[in-house]
Order: sequence, then structure tokens, then C-alpha cells
Amino acid sequence: MLLTIENAVKRFGGLIAVNNVSMTVEKGEIIGLIGPNGAGKTTLMNLISGFYQANSGKLTFNGVDITSFKQHEICKQGIARTFQIPRPFPDLTAIANVCVGVLCGKPRPHMSYHDSMLDASHYLEFVGLFGKRNILARDLSLYEMRALELARALATNPQLVLIDEVMAGLNPGEASSAVDLIQRMIEEYDVTVIWVEHVMKVIMAATSRVVVLHYGEKIASGPPFEVVNDPKIIEAYLGEKIA
Amino acid sequence: MKPYGESMRLEHRRGNLKLHVMSLKLEWTIEPRYWRNPLIAITGLLLLPFILYNRPDYLTLFITANIYACIAIPLAWQMTGTGRMNFGPQFFIGIGGYTAALLSIHWGWGPWQTLGAVILVSLGFAAILSPLTTVAKGLYFSLITLTLPLIFLELTFVYTEIFKGESGLAGIAPLVNFARMKINFLAAAYISLGIMLFYLLVIDKIFRSRFGLLAAAINDDEDVAQTCGLNINKYKMICFIVTSVMIALGGWFFAHQDGTFAGITYLPLPFMIKILLIVIIGGRGEIYGAIVGSYFVAVLEKVLMNFGAINYILFPLIMLILLFALREGLYGIYRKHKYKEYFPAMRVRKR
Repeated sequence: MLLTIENAVKRFGGLIAVNNVSMTVEKGEIIGLIGPNGAGKTTLMNLISGFYQANSGKLTFNGVDITSFKQHEICKQGIARTFQIPRPFPDLTAIANVCVGVLCGKPRPHMSYHDSMLDASHYLEFVGLFGKRNILARDLSLYEMRALELARALATNPQLVLIDEVMAGLNPGEASSAVDLIQRMIEEYDVTVIWVEHVMKVIMAATSRVVVLHYGEKIASGPPFEVVNDPKIIEAYLGEKIA
Repeated sequence: MKPYGESMRLEHRRGNLKLHVMSLKLEWTIEPRYWRNPLIAITGLLLLPFILYNRPDYLTLFITANIYACIAIPLAWQMTGTGRMNFGPQFFIGIGGYTAALLSIHWGWGPWQTLGAVILVSLGFAAILSPLTTVAKGLYFSLITLTLPLIFLELTFVYTEIFKGESGLAGIAPLVNFARMKINFLAAAYISLGIMLFYLLVIDKIFRSRFGLLAAAINDDEDVAQTCGLNINKYKMICFIVTSVMIALGGWFFAHQDGTFAGITYLPLPFMIKILLIVIIGGRGEIYGAIVGSYFVAVLEKVLMNFGAINYILFPLIMLILLFALREGLYGIYRKHKYKEYFPAMRVRKR
């Protein structure tokens, strides 16, 4: 078992964003996290990555209790994330962005600054941004920023990658290459993925298991085709009448 | 236990200097393009005191400019490394100056004895204040640091018997004591230049190393730097402490060079405006720019003195105009056109 979440609760004042969610993630799985807007998907991602601390519940990663860990400690344990709205370091060049991941992620002994540049260029090559290594991150296009975030996440040497809506704002061509990129990443780097996505076609094709959140609660979990035909899910997405 | 040779090793290979310490490897490129221009500038600066030997007033200007640079260079690192604008670096000038002055007057310590004490005392104060960099965000940090020197100034007036208020402490042991006054000035000029060049060298190395990259990352986005696995609180606190101690040595120098030290000279806002002007002219987070800015401000100060009382208005006015006209500073203009590095450019700027 790679990641275990037990009864995680996150409140924002009176609003319960994540309500008693329990789930497990096996090594090598690709999990789709779906749900309507405001269902608590991103909050759950933030809980796992340490961006927020859970009000109650327990998170275990690789047998280590990470519930009260800070973000950088969680990153060192081997969890990396991307953001829904890309957040590269805008005033650093693309290679320097990835370099931060290389130097700060899982400790690599005997890694000098120069070596980290070499390592970073490898990850940039992987996502297809090597040609733009010396361009400031803020001058990149949306797709390139997403790719850069992915490279930076990979550079921290993760076991689990949290991907937050890669498709949002991409044109069909870019979207398909983004999906290709993620699948190549899973194959080549042997990472486990939790993937938040609104585009169901991608989720159906790529994931091995789907977890559905609704108003902060987990309402279903299982193989994608079983889940989408569940009346409860259709109700959550489209309303009672159509279901 | 591992033999010494294995745990620590220095080697020179393919124009790179490599230092292995335990599992850490540090590497520097030795290439003329990195040090040719700085070398020319440094040679010029080293020759300048000789040229000005017969003009003690210009030599004083040179010394003041160097010490301004000694404040602005660490401040450049502090502002990028903590991602915050410190409006009160002169607080540590006060700490350094008063520590040196009090020890020298009451216990008769010489400049090299007070140096250690200044480092220790400022280290203590910086360590106490360093959590501010993690707690106070953006504007609040600026406001707190802005009030710190003003509070200190008030204290120097409240406890007049210790700090001697407006008149300041006098009779501090001189920095160097040769028979001839001109030689004293020359020695002080070289000491100030030495400190400045040492700061420049150290912080230049830091900016070109991984720690410079991490400073830039913190400056850009703290949250993301944290998700990348960087312990930003630790980094920011270390950065604040080290730079504060460096700034405090400026106060130590002022106290021993002038023989007197009064908080009213360094702690109020006009001094802060000077430092800010240096940073603005030099460009935020630019160490070479800080030197250009320091010399510019020291000369400007000298020129404006001829205008009488109006210089109190002219100085901030010039600063405001430059603030709007030169967003990247004087040095930024040069850098924009000339910047070409072997390694990818790391540009440290806040939007």
C-alpha cells in the first residue's frame, strides 16, 4: 500500500470541504479523482501534498504517518504535485525551474549545481522543452507551463504524482499530447498517479480506478466503466431528473 | 571513520574546480568571462585610494561609498533570499555601532576585539528577529523592519546615560593609528574596500551557486518552492541572520573610523532613503548594481550638500523620479543589453 487516507476531514469555517474521506492507493495504480465543481477534489490533493493540514483523520505514505508533515517534508517522502493553474517560478528560466526540483526533492548525494543542471536538462528533454531551456518561465505558453510543472514534479524523484486538471484551457492537439506525456511518464518513471480531471474521455481511457467525490464525501470508487453507469454518480453530475 | 581524503577532496578537472565534502559536491567553473570584467573594476578600485591620496575629503567619500555598498550588497541577498523588502537595515548598523562604541569606551577594547563582540551581539539580535521572515508577510515585514530602527532611536534618547542620546558616544578607539593622518585615511580606505570586496566575492559565489537559485525560487513563489521540497523557513532565517551580521559590521566600521557614534546619524529615515536609493539605482537583488548605486549616492550626497537646506527635498525627489524612470536600475540597463552567460541566466527580479 503506497498511500492510505483514513477519515480525512478538512473544514473551512462552517464549510466541510473534505468530509470523512477514506481511500487507499496501491503502487503503480492510476487513480482518477472526479466530481462536480466544489466537490473537494483539489482540497483532497492539497491535503495529500501538505498544502493544508487535515482537521482530523490520518494519512500514511509508505508506512510513514504524514498527517502533520510540512510540504517540503512530504515532497522529500516522494509525493510531487502540479497545480490547476500553472505556477512555475516566473522569473527563472525553464531549466532553473526544474533545477529547483532536482536540488530540493529527494536527497541525491554527490549532486553539484552543475550536475543538477544536467539532470534538469534530462527532464526538460523528456517533456519536450529542452529547446526552450533558457526562456523565462513566464514567457512560455500554457501547455509549456504545464509540461514544465510536470518536469519539475518529476525532478523531485517522486513515487506518487498528483496531477490537477492538465486539460483545462488546452486546445485538442495540446490536450492529446499532454495525455501522451503523462502516459509516457507513468511508463518510464514508474510512478503512481492521482489524476483530477473533468474530461471524462481521458479518465475512462487512462485510469485503472476512479474515485468520485460529491460535497466533500466519497460516493463511489471502482473501475471507470462501472462507476460512470452508477445512477448515484449520474445524479450527482446531472441531477435527479435525468438519473 | 573515513580517512580525510575520502570525506573531503578538492580536484580540478576540465576547467571546473570541484570540492567534495561528505556527500555534498560543490563545483565552480573557472573561465575568464566570469572574472575578467570584475577584475578590471576591482583593479581600478584598488588604485583609486592612491590617486586620491592627497585629497582626504575624496578619500572619505570613497570610504563612505564602500560602507554603503557593504550594507547594500548583503541587503540584495536578503531581499531575494527572504522574498521581502527590508526597510530597516540600519537597525543592525545601530547594533554594530553601539556595541563597538560601548565596549571600546567602557572596557577599552580595540577595533579587532570589538569585531568579535559585534558579530556575536548582532548574531543574537538577528537570531531573535529572524522568525519575522517566516511570520510577517510582504508589507507587514516592511512595516515592522521600518519601525525597528525608529524604536532603537527612541531607546537611545530614553536611556541617555548609556547611549548619550543626540551627542552620541565619543572616544572610540580608532580603526588604525599611524603617525600620519593621510596614512590613516589610506589604511581605512583599503580596509573598507577589503570588506566590500569580501562581501562581493562571497555573495557573488552564493548567487552563482545552488543557494542563489533557491533564493530566486523563494523570491518568486514561496508556496511552490515548498512543494518542490525546499525548507523555506530554514533558508529564510539563515539568510536573514547572515546578512544582518554582515550589515552590522558596517556599523562597527563607522564607529571606529569616526571615533564617535550617534544613533541619530544612522537610525532615522533619511539614512534609510539613502540605502533604498542605492538598491533602486542598482536594481533589486543586483550585487554589482549595489556598488554602482553606492558610489552614485555618495557622490550625489556630496554634490547636493552645496545646495544647502534644499537637499533634504532634492534627495527623496531624485529617488522618486528614478523609482518611476528606472525600474531595473542603472545596472539593469547595462545587464539587459550585455547579459550572456555560459550557464542559463538566472534573473532575480520581483515583478
